[in-house]
Amino acid sequence: MKTLAMKALAAAGLLAASAGIAHAQDVTIGAVLPLTGPSASIGEDQRRGMELAVERVNAAGGVLGRKLRVIIEDSGGRAPTALDAAKKLATVDKVPVVMGEYSSGITIPTAQYLVKEGVSHLNIGSSSPRVRGIGEGSFSVIGLDDVSAKFAATDVFEQKFRKAAFIAPNNAYGQGVAEEFKKNFEAMGGQVVASILYTAGQSTYRRELQQIERAAPDVYVYSAYGQEAAIINREAFDLGLNKTQWYAIYQTMCTTDTPAQIANGQIGMEVSAVGPAGKPYEEAYSKKYGEKFKSAYSGYAYDGVMLSAAAIAKAGSTEAAKVRTALAEVGRKFDGVTGEVVFDKDRQRAVQPYLRTRYQNGVLPR
Amino acid sequence: MFQFVLDVLIRTADLALVAVGLSAVYALVKFPNVSHVQYAALGAFLTLAGQRLGLPFALAMALSCVVTGAVAVLLNTLVFRRLLRSGPAIAMIGSLAVSMVMVALMLGVAGSRPLRYDFEIVSPLVIAGARVSHAQAYSIGAALLVLGGFAWLLYRTPMGRRMRALATNRALAEATGIDAHQVTNLISLISGALAAIGGTMLAMTSDVHVNLGTDLLLPVFAAAIIGGLGNPLGAAAGALLIAVAETAVTNLNFGWLVGQPLAFLPVTYIGAASFLFLLVALLFKPYGLFDREVRRV
Repeated sequence: MKTLAMKALAAAGLLAASAGIAHAQDVTIGAVLPLTGPSASIGEDQRRGMELAVERVNAAGGVLGRKLRVIIEDSGGRAPTALDAAKKLATVDKVPVVMGEYSSGITIPTAQYLVKEGVSHLNIGSSSPRVRGIGEGSFSVIGLDDVSAKFAATDVFEQKFRKAAFIAPNNAYGQGVAEEFKKNFEAMGGQVVASILYTAGQSTYRRELQQIERAAPDVYVYSAYGQEAAIINREAFDLGLNKTQWYAIYQTMCTTDTPAQIANGQIGMEVSAVGPAGKPYEEAYSKKYGEKFKSAYSGYAYDGVMLSAAAIAKAGSTEAAKVRTALAEVGRKFDGVTGEVVFDKDRQRAVQPYLRTRYQNGVLPR
Repeated sequence: MFQFVLDVLIRTADLALVAVGLSAVYALVKFPNVSHVQYAALGAFLTLAGQRLGLPFALAMALSCVVTGAVAVLLNTLVFRRLLRSGPAIAMIGSLAVSMVMVALMLGVAGSRPLRYDFEIVSPLVIAGARVSHAQAYSIGAALLVLGGFAWLLYRTPMGRRMRALATNRALAEATGIDAHQVTNLISLISGALAAIGGTMLAMTSDVHVNLGTDLLLPVFAAAIIGGLGNPLGAAAGALLIAVAETAVTNLNFGWLVGQPLAFLPVTYIGAASFLFLLVALLFKPYGLFDREVRRV
């Protein structure tokens, strides 16, 4: 509670501070992030990435000779709240670009609204293959699950696991990744012996876990949002299911709210937090926040801001239509801290580096 | 199989204490108090607040029991007794309103994020191949202990006799000089405390969260009604039956029906199970399964 209140205060303080120095001349872009709710830890990490990017841009003279400012709205981890926030950003603040959210189930409706309003959308954390279908005006800085699920399936198969039980949330992200994983894993000769798409926001998943346990898998492959993953991990621990190997798809997301003692020993995969040119960013992050990356996602938020700033500079204007065209042009080849960002014909990141990971008091490369 | 028994016991412990308190108060005030399940949530939050303030867990829980009991007595005296003059239906709607206010207050103070008690993480106990966490074992033990104590109070003390006399024939009991208000207050206090223990135990095995009370509403009422509203120990038996039904529904393998090795009912249907069970029970035993006992008291 205390930390939540403090985070809310910090966020409010940040907004107030940025509003205080706000100037009609500032160049503003928008973001909708899960600062509260089950993905709050990730949302905070995304906010940090944006904060660092804004500092960097303004230290180098800003955009179009003016200061850059990101207006960050909280989604609460709920689609209706995220939509309200997007409406405010599009109609009141009249920003040309909105970044966010994190969960695909929330990103998709929010982005659909934004592109209809002519505002460009930058996806900085969602990976459902359905993000591809949002339409003209929506760009992804992060790779989608048609690639990542194949990476995970290959990895699990190479670890000699053949009977997988699959757990994911029942939303656009979970359905997408479940489908892709099963397709790839079974094509290689493995078998998904049980699959649970859990209802988000429950206080217990014990019965679901007991059901899939009956299928006697040799590996549990799961993907869940921070606090829901914490419940699943604890109950799996209480049921002794951690005697079997657990494999986390997007491991920093899965373990960020789980006590280390419970998460130790899990393996998984994750997007690379930084690319070859990311070292200075990593150092700036740990210097400012006094800890290592909380998740793998801050760099994508950072790149989102940098890409937007570059596009606005290229367009020479904050007019939404011009910025949209410029985004596509900048995205032909953009060197970000997460690696080279190149959009494919559907405006999605074409090449996404992934890492094999394991958990031992923190997510480490394997 | 033993795992099944344990799962049933865990679920029974979740439901029984709250259901028993609900039923006991009903015996005296003759209206179903919907806000009773929120006492459980309140109790869980108060214990958490106590623990965060640095109290040992047992002391925090004891304090939470006292405060929740006091809240139950206050609400009964200030709100429900007045509403009851207009009839039990009005009082029930009033209790629904109280319940909503309580949820709003808890949401406002504690937020919507699930919270946890601060306990060390220990591996589960393994008994005959079945696994049970320490928290769950404590929860089962506490439920048995508290239920035993309550039964003793009800059937072996003068206070319990007064309470049963009031429940059976109020006019006659008052004529013999029993102070109905005093007995009702005491039973309210105890039922509030029982709910606080129940809520705390439930939160100990899962999370402290704002929906804790609301999630209990259906199964707890089903348990109390199956046991015969107003029959506290019947409610405990009702809780056991509901727990068996819920656990069986999610554990049964329906694979043979669809021609697959494994097929389970989705867990979201669990509420429907207790409701269905309640409907069938009421069709054949409209006054609850243990009706005859109640009338004989």
